Amino acid sequence: MAQSTVTDAQLIARVVVQDDRHAFSELVRRYQSIIRATLRRLTAGNHALADDLAQETFLLAYRNLKSFRQEARFSTWLHRIATNAFLADARKRKEELLGDTVAEVADDDDAEMPAAGDATGDHARASNLRMDLERAMAVLSEGERAAIVQCYHNDLSHEEAAYVLNCPVGTVKTHLLRGKQKLKAQLEAWNT
Amino acid sequence: MTERPDTTDDWLERTLAADAQEFRAGYLADDGFTARVAAALPPAAVALPAWRKPAVFVLWTLIAIGAALALPGAALDVAWESLSFLARHKISVTDIASALLALGAASWAGAAFALRRDD
Repeated sequence: MAQSTVTDAQLIARVVVQDDRHAFSELVRRYQSIIRATLRRLTAGNHALADDLAQETFLLAYRNLKSFRQEARFSTWLHRIATNAFLADARKRKEELLGDTVAEVADDDDAEMPAAGDATGDHARASNLRMDLERAMAVLSEGERAAIVQCYHNDLSHEEAAYVLNCPVGTVKTHLLRGKQKLKAQLEAWNT
Repeated sequence: MTERPDTTDDWLERTLAADAQEFRAGYLADDGFTARVAAALPPAAVALPAWRKPAVFVLWTLIAIGAALALPGAALDVAWESLSFLARHKISVTDIASALLALGAASWAGAAFALRRDD
């Protein structure tokens, strides 16, 4: 792809120095997929909310691009903005979201959860388990979910995740540990 | 991820790893997202023409000269009145020092306020 010969740093410089909107659009095009997909995970599959937050993320990135010091990768910086936007939004909607999630999980537990025996073979079982995992992520706190998504799905180190989540490395490790304990308990409960 | 405390034979670790692999392999089509972001960007600042600053300077200079010509003697009157006012009132060294100190403090406070960082 001819466009990829231009580095992120060159595009950022064009935006900062010349307010080049085309350069910024190219940056959005490069990272929209990973940011939107991450936010879909963080919002437990709420695509409309994820896209709204992704748009907010890129607009914030545009406004604050001058303050980007290139100490982290551009993608990591975007993840930080996206995670902050998600956590701020989650704080605002906490009550509403919590109610919905509990009700949804309770409903799923009763009716929609496929029995482990429905699937035949290891592959089908693993596939079912992954679908269950996606749903089980909804029972985690926002911090735990963000830590798991950043460390596993976005493959960030604990240090990078701490930068993205704006918290100490120890907190990331705690979120991971607790998140995995909850996931394990939830998945085991569904499969017994 | 470089550090992972749990062992890889844990079924949850395997499931998370497989899920993460599938997640990274996926690509979301743009579907107009980039265009929506571009449309939501704040309007571009209108660049001011290069001749604007010198033109403003020349204009104010002309206004000042015009005012000076239209009001002959006004500046001289102000200067004489100021001198006679100062002559009528005795100003001690302490007064001057106090005034300088107050001016200095105001300047430093102003500079500190202007250079503050909003961290």
